[in-house]
Amino acid sequence: MDFDDSPDEATYRARVRDLLEQHAGELLHLAPGQEGVDARRHEPEMRRTQRVLAEAGLVGVTWPREYGGRGGTLVQQAIVAQELARARVPGLINHIGIGMCGPTVIAHGSQDQRDRYLARLLRADDVWCQLFSEPASGSDLAALRTTAVRDGEDWVVNGQKVWTTLAHVADFGILLTRTDPERPKHAGLTMFVVDMHAPGVSVRPLRQMGGQADFNEVFFDDVRIPDSERLGEPGEGWRVALTTLMNERVAIGGAGGDIGLPVEALVEHARDRLPALDGDRQVLARQAVGRAVVAALAARYTGYRRLTVLSQGGIPGPEASAGKLAATEAARLVADAGVRLLGDEAVYAATSGGDDRWQRTQAWLPGIAIAGGTDQVLRNILGERVLGLPPEPRSDKTAPFSGGRR
Amino acid sequence: MNFDLDTDQRDIAAGAREFFTGSASPAAARAGLEGGAPAPGRKALADIGFLGITVPEVAGGSGRPLLDLAVVAEQGGAVLAAPSLVTAARAAVLLADVPELAAQLADGTTAFAVLDGSVDGSAPSIDAADATLFLGLDGGDLVVGEGEIVPGRPLDATRGLASVRLTSRRVIASDAAELWARARQVAAVVMAAEDLGGADRAVALGVAYAQEREAFGRRIGSYQAVKHMLVDAWAGVEQLRSLVWWAAWAADSAPAELPLASSAAKACAASTFERAAGTLIQVHGGIGFTWEHDAHLFWRRAKVDRLLLGDEAEHLDAVARLAVAGAL
Repeated sequence: MDFDDSPDEATYRARVRDLLEQHAGELLHLAPGQEGVDARRHEPEMRRTQRVLAEAGLVGVTWPREYGGRGGTLVQQAIVAQELARARVPGLINHIGIGMCGPTVIAHGSQDQRDRYLARLLRADDVWCQLFSEPASGSDLAALRTTAVRDGEDWVVNGQKVWTTLAHVADFGILLTRTDPERPKHAGLTMFVVDMHAPGVSVRPLRQMGGQADFNEVFFDDVRIPDSERLGEPGEGWRVALTTLMNERVAIGGAGGDIGLPVEALVEHARDRLPALDGDRQVLARQAVGRAVVAALAARYTGYRRLTVLSQGGIPGPEASAGKLAATEAARLVADAGVRLLGDEAVYAATSGGDDRWQRTQAWLPGIAIAGGTDQVLRNILGERVLGLPPEPRSDKTAPFSGGRR
Repeated sequence: MNFDLDTDQRDIAAGAREFFTGSASPAAARAGLEGGAPAPGRKALADIGFLGITVPEVAGGSGRPLLDLAVVAEQGGAVLAAPSLVTAARAAVLLADVPELAAQLADGTTAFAVLDGSVDGSAPSIDAADATLFLGLDGGDLVVGEGEIVPGRPLDATRGLASVRLTSRRVIASDAAELWARARQVAAVVMAAEDLGGADRAVALGVAYAQEREAFGRRIGSYQAVKHMLVDAWAGVEQLRSLVWWAAWAADSAPAELPLASSAAKACAASTFERAAGTLIQVHGGIGFTWEHDAHLFWRRAKVDRLLLGDEAEHLDAVARLAVAGAL
């Protein structure tokens, strides 16, 4: 057991740090107090930042070399993430592509698709999105209704997707459709790569409870997709989607990364704010801060344990769901402690000084407990696939989808 | 970074599991409530070398890191073993410069207990009920002496709790406040490790029952209300394991992190073990709150341990203060 870098890791970290310094002038950086950059307003700079990082070898670290990656380890990827955060470089514009779409194309795409898409994805020449959820199928994703019907060498797609991160700037997406409604729900699905600039694709921003619009609705009206853009066989879409979803849970909190504001930000905030609270409130606020720190460190170190197993050849399994669950809970405790430390100002949307980080994060976290697997779905997965508990009886798995609920 | 046990530590854990499975059990903990002796007992723990894991080799111990002891303590906790390795770990820190006493700790010839609170009437202290020689802090000095033992009626007999008034005392280190504090931090880590073992076993027993027991025509583990309760208890155990390993590792490899890490682990252990033991009873339904069932023995250990060596509130406060002071 050793929490410090091994000699190899230390060398790698030093090289990453050097590269980030060398290219500092070409990269976006967050201002003090700023946590993210809005792709709606800064798309060109965000694409440029990722391209520079890709050319420096810092994007797709764990991807195979033949697809433009570095064939590196998950620990190296974690080191890059830590150094990017340290250098205050914002999250990459193509994080959905790198974390979810790319691995799905690697696992299920044709050689031609891999050659055409992957290197461009890493450089953010193309930005990608993931078109899964629909208004009537969230947790029950396999109930989706967007259809793709074969027509000559093409498929014709009609329907609506929702909760699509980055659709408004995306060039391509992976799209899960129903191609055979006469088969049971999981067996009638097929995955495609869709050109987001194709005729018939329209994107509308979706405003969330916190006021911002991170997501979109996407409409498909007679959109034609060539059969060569299919990912996997017709009817195999569910299996392909599981690759994406498993990568998603690793990407969201599965490897020990913080969700929301890092616990270090809470500690700094507490250092500023605690002295201003009077006696009893200070005692209670310290309890809240202590509880948040414990939860955040436990989630972080549990992620490190998972990372260690993965870097020794383990494959991402259902345990990654526990990482997202724990990181979400920790994030709630951190945000709640942060808000409480504001004292009387906690009831406003921002402090008198204009700082809205804590309130904004507080309003963002209910969505995180839902996006990418609700807390409840994750508990089902963990209960059934890790603890080996029996599933609930279901009536929807064997009947033809068309004969099911409508 | 490598955050996992190594092959040696896995072997140690496997050996400890075998030893404790054959020498201690919830049944023995139940018997303890009616006057039975602690199991496996001090002599057996000394013979297999567990009391001297962190005692220096010159004093007859193994001179191993705290992480090795924590791995063993987890296995002891799983079967509610007594006396506690908390006492061995804490006394080993206090006796680091007193090899003749440390040797008696390691070979089990003397039954030590470490007193919390005043030596003229201590707080209930672990393993004091059966001890013959006591370590305490007396006005900043570390003292050793004999004492008059006042046990209470045990809620969990495996902890051997009693209050003690020293009847003799000899100073073995002056200005020992810092040493004392470190020993208590180490003790908290080992207790968190024992609680980890207990919580892990409680979850495993609950899961096994939910896989078998049927109600309303199906196995109860298929109901989300039951399933989610077990998942939350299990997830807590996984979080606790990370903090226990970190804290045990820090004791030897990053001593500056020990105060924060040990408080984090102890705070997490309190709530995690309580939830796991409570879940174990709830999942079992009617049989779960009988005297004959093992569930209440885990529950008793959880209810007692959460208050020993500082409760959750004390340790959460310490975590916040240390973090704000720059430990994070």
